[in-house]
Amino acid sequence: MTTTVDAVDSPDRPDPGRTGTGRAAGWSSRLGSLGLSAAAIAAAFVLGGILLALAGANPFQAYADMLSGTFGSRFDFSLVLVETAPLLLIGLGLAVAFRARVWNIGAEGQLLMGALAGGAFAIYAPINSRAVMIPAACLVGAAAGGAWGWVVGFLRARWSVNEVISSLLLNYVALRTLEYTIRKPLRDPVGFQPVSETLPDPARLPDVPGLRVHIGLLIGLGLIPVVAYVMRRTPFGFHTRMMGLNRDATEAAGVRTGRLITAVMVVSGAFAGMAGILQVMGPESRLTGNISPGFGFTAIIVALVARMRPVGVLLAAMLIGALTLGGDVIQRTQQVPRVLTIVIQALFVLLILVADRLGRRSR
Amino acid sequence: MTSIEPDPPAQSRGSGGSGSVPLVAMRGIAKRFGSVTAVADADFDLHAGEIHALLGENGAGKTTLMNLLYGLERPDDGSIEIDGEPVQFRSAHDAIEAGIGMVHQHFQLVPRLTVAENVILGTGEGRRVRLPDLDEVAAAIEDLGERYGLSVSAASLVGDLSVGEQQRVEILRALYRGARILILDEPTATLSPVEIDHLIERLQGMAAAGTAIVMITHHLDEVMTAADRITVLRAGANVATVPADETSPLELARLMVGREVSMLSEVGEVEQAGATATSTSAGPAVLTIEHLSSASASGTSGEHARDFFDLSLEVRASEIVTIAGVEGNGQAELEAVLCGLGQPAAGRISLDQTDVTGATPRQLLDAGVGVIPSDRYRRGLIRGLSVAENLVYDRIDRAPYGRRLWIDPRAVASRGADLVGRFSIAVRSPSTDASTLSGGNAQKVVLARALGTDLRLLIAAQPTRGLDVGAIEFVWNQIRAQRDAGVAVLLITTDLNEVTALSDRCFVIYRGRLIETPLDREAIGMAMGGAGSRAEEAAVL
Amino acid sequence: MNWAAVFGAAAIIPLLNASIRLAVPTGLAAVGESLCQRAGVLNLSLEGMMLSGAYAAFLATHYSGQPWLGVAAGVGGGMFIGMLMALFSVTLKTEQVINGIALVLLASGLTSFLHVRLFGVTAPERFDPMGKLEIPLLGAIPGVGSVVFDQSPLVYLAVVLIIGVWWTLHRTRFGLAVRAAGDRPGAADAAGISVDRVRAAAILASGAMAGLGGAVLVVGQLGLFAQNVTAGRGWVAIALVIFGRWSPLRVAAGAFLFGFTDALQLRIQSASGGIESDIPFEFFQALPYLVTIVVVVVATARARDDAQPESLGVPYIKGARSS
Repeated sequence: MTTTVDAVDSPDRPDPGRTGTGRAAGWSSRLGSLGLSAAAIAAAFVLGGILLALAGANPFQAYADMLSGTFGSRFDFSLVLVETAPLLLIGLGLAVAFRARVWNIGAEGQLLMGALAGGAFAIYAPINSRAVMIPAACLVGAAAGGAWGWVVGFLRARWSVNEVISSLLLNYVALRTLEYTIRKPLRDPVGFQPVSETLPDPARLPDVPGLRVHIGLLIGLGLIPVVAYVMRRTPFGFHTRMMGLNRDATEAAGVRTGRLITAVMVVSGAFAGMAGILQVMGPESRLTGNISPGFGFTAIIVALVARMRPVGVLLAAMLIGALTLGGDVIQRTQQVPRVLTIVIQALFVLLILVADRLGRRSR
Repeated sequence: MTSIEPDPPAQSRGSGGSGSVPLVAMRGIAKRFGSVTAVADADFDLHAGEIHALLGENGAGKTTLMNLLYGLERPDDGSIEIDGEPVQFRSAHDAIEAGIGMVHQHFQLVPRLTVAENVILGTGEGRRVRLPDLDEVAAAIEDLGERYGLSVSAASLVGDLSVGEQQRVEILRALYRGARILILDEPTATLSPVEIDHLIERLQGMAAAGTAIVMITHHLDEVMTAADRITVLRAGANVATVPADETSPLELARLMVGREVSMLSEVGEVEQAGATATSTSAGPAVLTIEHLSSASASGTSGEHARDFFDLSLEVRASEIVTIAGVEGNGQAELEAVLCGLGQPAAGRISLDQTDVTGATPRQLLDAGVGVIPSDRYRRGLIRGLSVAENLVYDRIDRAPYGRRLWIDPRAVASRGADLVGRFSIAVRSPSTDASTLSGGNAQKVVLARALGTDLRLLIAAQPTRGLDVGAIEFVWNQIRAQRDAGVAVLLITTDLNEVTALSDRCFVIYRGRLIETPLDREAIGMAMGGAGSRAEEAAVL
Repeated sequence: MNWAAVFGAAAIIPLLNASIRLAVPTGLAAVGESLCQRAGVLNLSLEGMMLSGAYAAFLATHYSGQPWLGVAAGVGGGMFIGMLMALFSVTLKTEQVINGIALVLLASGLTSFLHVRLFGVTAPERFDPMGKLEIPLLGAIPGVGSVVFDQSPLVYLAVVLIIGVWWTLHRTRFGLAVRAAGDRPGAADAAGISVDRVRAAAILASGAMAGLGGAVLVVGQLGLFAQNVTAGRGWVAIALVIFGRWSPLRVAAGAFLFGFTDALQLRIQSASGGIESDIPFEFFQALPYLVTIVVVVVATARARDDAQPESLGVPYIKGARSS
């Protein structure tokens, strides 16, 4: 979105404060913003509690159930981590994009395309070694997700097509493509449901030793320092942050912002695509029409709650992973619809915006 | 029981003006923005029928004081009276109702609306849903314009008008809304000398008809010709109010700065000596522009989008060549093309005889071209990055700061510390966020980044716009030092003082075409208003 | 495939009639959004507004049995999200993209939550969508009559509203203020216009129209509510604003094109034999979205960006130095 700006340089007047969470605060205010986030998250849980009460549940009991049903046992905690893994991966990619102020809300579609391409590869490629198959399928998935993201970046860079619109609409196209593929060409001939056949053994992800979580989680964890390093210590990361803060100055400094936007879209698409194929090789074990219960959208919340910080993405992914699972728990124990957790997630973001605003005012 | 009361003392207080109750009386006004005090204990009187100049350096609080009168800001302290009645304006709307009009330095017009639409914008709110007949409004505006000698075509889009015409629209808008008090903020800043004469004449006509006019400025010569009374502000407080015929430019300059003034070039006197005398040693041509024309659809459409045509010039090593001109004559587009941010439609740009037409900003940087962009906050500074990062961000992937895949933060920090010292940038530490910089220091960062390496060519666009006296002198000296070190300098400016202080050779850009002019203030000034004679242009106006 | 069933003379009138019908929900939202964007607010919460309106309309109709009450509730439902959008974008001046997306999630979560809470897993009974109202005399005109004047009353209401938005934008003081606030909010402010109030009003109007669009979908067409029933129509509507170059009437024309695509794909789907067809029906389901993308690309690539409001998406902060 291009915006023309008045060139008003008024030295008589001090800068009354900047806007937008995209404009990152410096080191010094990092702690402050962490506190604000915590307060906002707490407030969201309070509002969620009120909704719980309105829905006829005892909010304290419900939250206690949630807590014991997610962090109460090693088994439950494993389930939280299963939920965390895709959110972590996608969230890391979106954190990079959002840092550049490239608003990719098409991670869901990028995930589906990664799952589709990776899944097809895993079914058809005659590879018998797990050590070859899994990385290869991951690369195929990442490439497919990256390509789906590239379309959005290319349209934005070449013709300034608003990426919010194009990425969102491509989600629907990706979903229909996946649905067609498992209904026709990849359909398991045995069985009534439109699903693919089960993936061959070499393409099944092993669990992390000691936990009932597939090793996709470790890939996500391993990428946290990589993303952190890239954003802080490489020209690509530096240029990405520059562009997010001031695109005109970035262009004037000789950075080709069109290429950078495309690159950022490819990166975030690749992360989502890899998350997709990992879901297929991990928990799902086959291609289905609902590999993703909206991971691509939830990860938007993850990246925003994390304020686009890699370590924050891990914390936010665990929080929201646990919350999602907790939704299932209270649906069982308190008969409260699990979608309540989506309301709480939206409140996270909205209340963090409020907290930022109040924080700026008091400074 | 009645008795004849003596005249209220207020009536006898007026000096200068018409001598009755002041139309506007501001007493003990104070305004703070956070920790910055913009206005501290200022008094200001205005009478019907006078032109009252508000004089002061940048940052003296002139504009803030008038924003308070116009209701754009609310004072922290003090009182404002109109016709002896205390008033409290909650918004500009209230001030407009009270008969106040303000013409801002940066015109507050909407380019994609017509003149008539701009004039009625914000009027009659709440009373009527439908817009009035725009043809009738247009006719009324043109009538008004004729009466005051401010002719303008009311049906045109404001974006299609010249700067001078837009200013007339601003004045007409205030008059259309029944303003008896007219505030003009730096009204001459973007006008050519001929247009300035014309404006002052019109203002005097309006004052004679009873309008009270406040003129915010820092140009002493205009003050002396136009104003009846002059109030000088310094550091937010008023220093003195004097009738124009009882003072001199030198006294005013002393009042403004608060000390004896030697740097007369800054206060309106022509400085021709010394600094500009070293031009004889100019070397071979570094920058050559041949028949350069802009694309008409360059995508940078906006308020000042103007094309340029068939420009040719040469800048040699060790000389400063200036392109002077009133804003909106094509220099912004020329700047963009020369900096690699736009493609010319035709023509050729070469650097040291090598064709660089269409080169990217990166290629120009590598070829030794330094740029001081005219809009420093948009193109020259990234708020949210540290000062040190701002000082190297255009070469972060080059040794010693980084390579393709890594950045050395220590090299960035030490470069930052070095440049902060060399350019005396006032900042707590190089790791401070650049958004905390003042205007002058922000420009020093831009300057340090561009000049911190060896250059072949420096393109400096409006390098001192909005800066205070000290910072201006610093920037000028830096540019001179570059020239003396053998760099070719292309200076693009609207400021006549800057032209005379720095140029070795001078061109004027007018309606997208270049005219070479002698280094003579009068000649440059005339060319800025159109190549022809004053009489010729006066006829056009 | 039986092409006559798609394009035959007998099929063309119902096809066009259906195009108008299908265009209305998206068109209402899109035209409201164009007003909002002209005021400078990039309202990405549109999908949430439609969803909220759709659900409010469903609840009101379900419990009262009065479709018109449902329509009114739909308007209110859209304005509820509009109020939140105004609170964030105008009062708090947060990043419009972020709060827009968050509000879509909020609306999606809230409506789903309420629906499951109130009706559990068993879907409530479908009610009859509002019937058609053939306008006397005009409806009898051959061709045009049965295309245009044999529609639900909600369609006529929509047409009136769309023209009303155009009239407001170009013929009223408020509309002039909207155009100024979207291009140069600073100039509008200096002229004595409250930019915040104008923008908030535009957001609320957009919420009302999107909510009505959601209501039309539920009350006028489906007679039921399902989770995320709007299925991206709000996003398509935002795309149509770009396609229509921010002009309400052109946006409405774009909505008709979208409705036509939708009607056509439904028609071809059923004519081509559904599941057993050679052309996968998923392709037709994806078609409206693909067409929207292509249309936006063409619109953005061809035209210079001079129609876009200059300050779109930029929060207006009094006295702030822009950057």
